[in-house]
Amino acid sequence: MKRILTLALVVLMAITTVFANGAKETPAAEKTNTLTVWAWDPNFNIPALLEAEKIYQQKNPDFKLNIVENPSKDIEVKFVTADQAGDYSTLPDIFLMQDNSYQKFIANYPGIFTTLDGSGINFSDFAAGKLAMSTAGGKHYGVPFDNGAVIMPIRTDIIAQAGLTVDDFNGVTWSTFFENATKVKKVTGIDMLTTSGGSEIVLMILQSAGASPYVNGKVNIENNKVLEEAIGIYARLIKEGLMTDYTDWDQYIASFNTGKAAGLIQGNWIISSITAAADQSGKWAVVPLPKLDGVAGATNYSNSGGASWAVSSSCRNKELAFDFLKTTLGSNTDLYDTLLVNNGVITTYMPAAKSARYQDNVEFFGGQKVYSDIVSYANGVPECDFGSYYNDIRSALTDAITNVVQKGADIKAEMKKAQEAVEFAIGG
Amino acid sequence: MAKKLTLERKQSIVGWGFLLPASLLIFIFCFYPMLQAVLLSFKRGNNAAERWVGFANYTRLFKDKVFLECLFNTVFYFVIQVPIMLVLALILAQMLNSPDVKCKGIFRTMIFLPCATSLVSYSMIFKSLFASNGFINTMLGWINIAPIDWFNRTWPARIVIIIALVWRWTGYNMVFYLAGLQNIDGSIYEAATIDGCNAFQKLTKMTIPLLKPTILLTAIMSTSGTLQLFDESVNLTGGGPGKATMTLAHYIYSTTFENTPNFNYAAAISVFILICISILSFIQMKVGDKRD
Amino acid sequence: MIRKKGLIVTYIVLITASFLSVFPLYYMLCGATNTSIDIIRGRLIPGTYLIENFKTLMDNQNLPLALWNSVRNSVVVTFLTLLVCSIAGYGFEIYHDKYKDSLMSVLLVAMMLPFVATIVPLFKLFSKLHLINSVAALILPTVSTPFMIMMFRQAARSFPHDIIEASRLEGLGEIRIFFTMFIPVMRSTYGAAATVTFMNAWNSYLWPKIIFQSNESITMPMLVANLKGGYFVDYGMLMLGVLICTLPTAIIFLALQKSFANGITGAIK
Repeated sequence: MKRILTLALVVLMAITTVFANGAKETPAAEKTNTLTVWAWDPNFNIPALLEAEKIYQQKNPDFKLNIVENPSKDIEVKFVTADQAGDYSTLPDIFLMQDNSYQKFIANYPGIFTTLDGSGINFSDFAAGKLAMSTAGGKHYGVPFDNGAVIMPIRTDIIAQAGLTVDDFNGVTWSTFFENATKVKKVTGIDMLTTSGGSEIVLMILQSAGASPYVNGKVNIENNKVLEEAIGIYARLIKEGLMTDYTDWDQYIASFNTGKAAGLIQGNWIISSITAAADQSGKWAVVPLPKLDGVAGATNYSNSGGASWAVSSSCRNKELAFDFLKTTLGSNTDLYDTLLVNNGVITTYMPAAKSARYQDNVEFFGGQKVYSDIVSYANGVPECDFGSYYNDIRSALTDAITNVVQKGADIKAEMKKAQEAVEFAIGG
Repeated sequence: MAKKLTLERKQSIVGWGFLLPASLLIFIFCFYPMLQAVLLSFKRGNNAAERWVGFANYTRLFKDKVFLECLFNTVFYFVIQVPIMLVLALILAQMLNSPDVKCKGIFRTMIFLPCATSLVSYSMIFKSLFASNGFINTMLGWINIAPIDWFNRTWPARIVIIIALVWRWTGYNMVFYLAGLQNIDGSIYEAATIDGCNAFQKLTKMTIPLLKPTILLTAIMSTSGTLQLFDESVNLTGGGPGKATMTLAHYIYSTTFENTPNFNYAAAISVFILICISILSFIQMKVGDKRD
Repeated sequence: MIRKKGLIVTYIVLITASFLSVFPLYYMLCGATNTSIDIIRGRLIPGTYLIENFKTLMDNQNLPLALWNSVRNSVVVTFLTLLVCSIAGYGFEIYHDKYKDSLMSVLLVAMMLPFVATIVPLFKLFSKLHLINSVAALILPTVSTPFMIMMFRQAARSFPHDIIEASRLEGLGEIRIFFTMFIPVMRSTYGAAATVTFMNAWNSYLWPKIIFQSNESITMPMLVANLKGGYFVDYGMLMLGVLICTLPTAIIFLALQKSFANGITGAIK
């Protein structure tokens, strides 16, 4: 009995300290020279913040950033919860958000943002296609960060076995691509492409022709000719054995790290995963994705992924946040140079893309000027409107594609079903 | 007589005192939010634009193809997985309780490990095992069965989920059975062995009846766990191919946090799950919870 | 002879089950000691890269803090859960009458609503109480679970009433009987309950993620999620993180299993 009582007492004391600890963690409101920022990648966007902090401290020596690491999905969950509970006090001052999520959050949770129009940032210096993703109703909600231009990295050594060169894939149309990819498969037995998550690649093709799935306030899936074409291409790639779609991301990474595929189509942020296989150095080249044949407005350029910085509505010192963003990520080309060299961050801030660093030859890609090439791809990306329904559209298209590829369903019928599914989901 | 009554009353009051802290916590932190969710399910619109719509969110359920598919998947997992897992757990517990087996501690620990394994590694491992060129397909190759594209086909993907669930939770349930067996007198097993009972008879005639309270407990727990299944659907298959493995809880999560938010509808799905589990548990209680 | 045959079958089943169960741990171990690219390429033999992975992990994340937070939170939650739920379970069984039985049935409903549905109302509640970002917000909704109460109630059913009667005759108070008689006899149940509660507390992710806002509150599952949150995943570091995240639950199980599974020791003495 005594022992139990002692134990109970000890634990009670422990609990008290724990509670006391908890109370201390409440953010203090008076710290005006510190900004709390949420971001998610310690090799990518968090170094950007650390570098920006250093630069801003030259102007404002007492300035501090309090960086909290949160996976991007969790940032969204926390914002949704806070907004629904009507309690913004827990939000950070600045946060990073995926570009694909901006329109949904602006439409459904406008209360979480501070618009950036009064910040003095010159938004026209950013690539237009990227900027549009965090802009709504003429108001800016985000400072664009990384570039999401789609690239098609290919293995030069593998295509060479089929007697082909980089030029046979550079800026070609899909029909040429199919011809050459078939040759590669026939000679080497290796898939030309690898991918993960089906609908992603269809959406990239869709955007490459600027064929919005959302037009004039209406879902535009059922009668979207480009979409039909894009699904057709995807189905053909799978059916002819030119591409494997891995459900699992890790398997997908493994497929190109182990040479099971001669190429892939993905946002350029995939480069860090490609270069991880150091023994493949010099065997890769980067080209843009193929463009659709005979479609008006078709290009070789598309976008996938990327994120932008936003200021929250509960920001404790808005002037400071504005000035910080304006001075660093909104205008400092040296910052972007450092980030390119150290972390492979390719900017969408156009003046920075003109710097000498972007002309560097990258050895891993056989001396290609990969960075300046990617920047030029980014400038050609057509705008593509998903309304605020990116996730709903993607989810419905995933179903459609699965049915077409796995069950041999009719593309047109599946598009009709997808249209209905999206309309049902957003119809309340 | 009068004194006895007061004593009983006194004990009853002490009893209520024993229940109070736990019950209070559940009322405040479960039932209050639950009530809010129920109210939410009869409304539409956000904050200021909120209005009552009666059962509209519930009638929407049966027009929603995604919901129906998720419902089917969830029920399928429940019907197949729960019995397999509980029977396996019972058999393992019985084996580990046998006095003849050596190294019980090591076996116990190893069999418990799966549920201690973090979700990240467990889903990575299953994904690589069942990958198109993974170990399972290699094994199928040895016995001349064509490889199966597990994650891209509807039924194989569902089966992977069930295998994963059984793998992860059997050891967990076994722990409860082992603790329950501890309260059973070992000598009755000895007697049964002398009487010539085989292992199967011991299981059905002795272990199961004696462990009835524990079995009921694990059955209710597995029922509510499976019908609220979330982790496997999200991490292992991502709900795919299409929505072929998506569970109801996963669907609630996407309607709340991923797709165009519809909190009222998500609440209606939650209440639907609540009702289903309640009915099932009620049946299980009626069947299993009797004081003899 | 039959007995021997049965024993062989038993061993075969147990060894198979153990092998299947342990494989992932082996996989983690291999992962933790190999380079990221080797793991991706499917290397399944332990490597020599453990120290490098550990260094990267330490540079990348605040491992000691996450471990400490996880241990602290889980121990506090486990202790309080056992205390609150076992008292309640005991109360429900020993003093049962039809009102208490009905209350138990009502409480059971609490485990039937998916947690996702209560996140927003619960967050609202804690925001009103000004307890966001506090350990209280973590503890209060988790310590009292109908499942644990029911487990202790079921266990109390096998607790001989004679002991209680005898103790009462000796003049022991009701609370004292619970602490001095029930707890020691029921240590197998406590062992099992502690194991699963600790495991649940240790692995809980969504709710802590939502209520804690600062880096100082990071727990092991959050740390592991961070390792997977970037565009490029270092699998060696990830696997090491996962391994470190798994070990404490395994250790707790090892430490507590003696109490609940000593083989047949006979019924309550």
